[in-house]
Amino acid sequence: MSDLLIDPPGRQGPGRIGGHAVRALELALARRSDGVLPGEHRSAGLGSGTELSQLRPYVEGDDVRHLDPAASARTGEPHVRLHVPERTLTTWIALDVSASMAFGTTRRLKSDVAEGVVRVVSRLGVRRGGRVALLRWGADASATRVLPPKGGRPALGAVDRALAEGVAADRSIHTEDLAGALERLHRVARRPGLVVIASDLRDDSRWERSLSMLARQHRVIVAEVSDPREQALPDAGIVVMVDPENGDHVEVDTSSPRVREAFGRAEAERRADVAERLRRCRVQHLAVSTDGDWLRDLGRALR
Amino acid sequence: MTVATPLAFALDAPLFLLTLLVIPAGLYAIHAARARRLRSAIRMPATATLKAVVAGQPSHRRWLPIALLALTVALLSVALTRPEVTVSSPVSRSTVTLVIDSSGSMAADDVQPSRMDAVKSAAKQFVKGIPKQTRIGLVGFSDTPNVVQEPTTDRGVVQRGLDALQASGGTFTQDALDVALDAIRAEGDPSKNDGTRPPGAIVLLSDGTPQRGQDPLIPAQRAKQDHIPIYTVSLGTPQGTVTYSDGSVVEVPPNPELMRQIAQISDGESYSVADAGELKKIYESLGTRVASEAEQREITAGFAGGGLLTLALALGLGLRWRSRVA
Repeated sequence: MSDLLIDPPGRQGPGRIGGHAVRALELALARRSDGVLPGEHRSAGLGSGTELSQLRPYVEGDDVRHLDPAASARTGEPHVRLHVPERTLTTWIALDVSASMAFGTTRRLKSDVAEGVVRVVSRLGVRRGGRVALLRWGADASATRVLPPKGGRPALGAVDRALAEGVAADRSIHTEDLAGALERLHRVARRPGLVVIASDLRDDSRWERSLSMLARQHRVIVAEVSDPREQALPDAGIVVMVDPENGDHVEVDTSSPRVREAFGRAEAERRADVAERLRRCRVQHLAVSTDGDWLRDLGRALR
Repeated sequence: MTVATPLAFALDAPLFLLTLLVIPAGLYAIHAARARRLRSAIRMPATATLKAVVAGQPSHRRWLPIALLALTVALLSVALTRPEVTVSSPVSRSTVTLVIDSSGSMAADDVQPSRMDAVKSAAKQFVKGIPKQTRIGLVGFSDTPNVVQEPTTDRGVVQRGLDALQASGGTFTQDALDVALDAIRAEGDPSKNDGTRPPGAIVLLSDGTPQRGQDPLIPAQRAKQDHIPIYTVSLGTPQGTVTYSDGSVVEVPPNPELMRQIAQISDGESYSVADAGELKKIYESLGTRVASEAEQREITAGFAGGGLLTLALALGLGLRWRSRVA
């Protein structure tokens, strides 16, 4: 366990994911997860599989090793047996553990929501022989970790252990930004797969290029985690606000409606700009909030 | 001409300037309060956006109220020291010495009724007209400068001295001016006025030509060094004659050129008139001009008032712009 990460105060966990009430949702999620499994994605080349696709008469050019003896004997004509090419799906999860994720004013922290997203995606990812890899970024560069793709229970255990380590302490220096993380992911994720990014996207780096390159090869879902307090200021008099990541502070009179309104407008513009940049990168944008039902939002996005 | 009095600024109790240390102490306190607020700052991931919003406000809203508060402290500190300015104002401690020629030539009657009487009545008019606190000395001279009267504020004594002047004898102007200068110098009151003499002036009233061997320009030089202007008034007409007791008639023309030189050297002014009425006018104008003195005036109220004004401004702007005083 790295001491560069801390267990943020007020950590609630993502909430209940399993259990009786969630079982139906589990099934629903399973169905939805089918959508991301490779059967619906054309994978490169022909491959051997276990599921019969079709039997059809031999035409010139077919591999003679695919001749089906029984069908050929029964019909008197040479038939070939074709299988559905099956690939195991590799799911890459890029988890933001920057200090700004340890923030939440309603039910749970943003890092809790991100943790829930990662847990659900990793459980779905290991089904049907899938493999799950985790890239943790946003903390001190030495705390950045890449868990290589693994399948089954070992993968879930590794992901859970990585999640349990928490998020970066305030004012960590030499943090890896989103652009750097995406480039690193682009280097290690060679095979086409699914990429899920869980972050609050409060990142100054120019990540569009890396993201669009990634999106050319993979299906990419970006889960933008936010908190209602980041979009609107309450009337709380004069307060000093400090940026958890770089320690920048600002004194602001929140009792001024003009300031609150200007802040709300600026923040709405920022989010619209982020959404526009994501759209231009041709990735799927999923907004989850600490006060909403993130599980339902995630399920809808995976459908 | 008045004696030039430069505007000077002095503090009565300069030790109170130590209260200026309140300014750095206050700035430190504000800084410490900021640091304290920073320790209890609220974590906010959207701080960058917030900072951009707040940065849109003009920066003077942050420093102006604090600067005004510092200015208030400075003004009130200075007010505590009871500041004084030295201003030139027409007041008491001035001395005018009348130097009046009572030589034989003054008996000429080319000025009505006679030169001597014209001088006497004009001098009395002058004495009447000038401020009460001005000290007036009188030197009547002929063969010897006989100090008729040391500078005094008692007008009656001066009047009687003027009455006692008799026209007879020679014209020893140099000696008379020396005596008058010494009399004004003796007026100095160093304990009260930083060692400088109170402003003084000499009014020389003569019909001119001094006795052989007398050079009035020498005391005129001294008077310049002492910043004592000599106003000269020559009187008489070139046709003036004196009839002596033995019956001989002597022409006694005035010497306005010499009188002009005396006035010029000593930074005074020279008048040449042969008319008693005009003489009065000159004396009257002299009376208002020579009597001026540097006076120290306390200006605490101005500083205190300015301090209150800036304080009100600082509080008003601070509360309006930042909802706090500092």
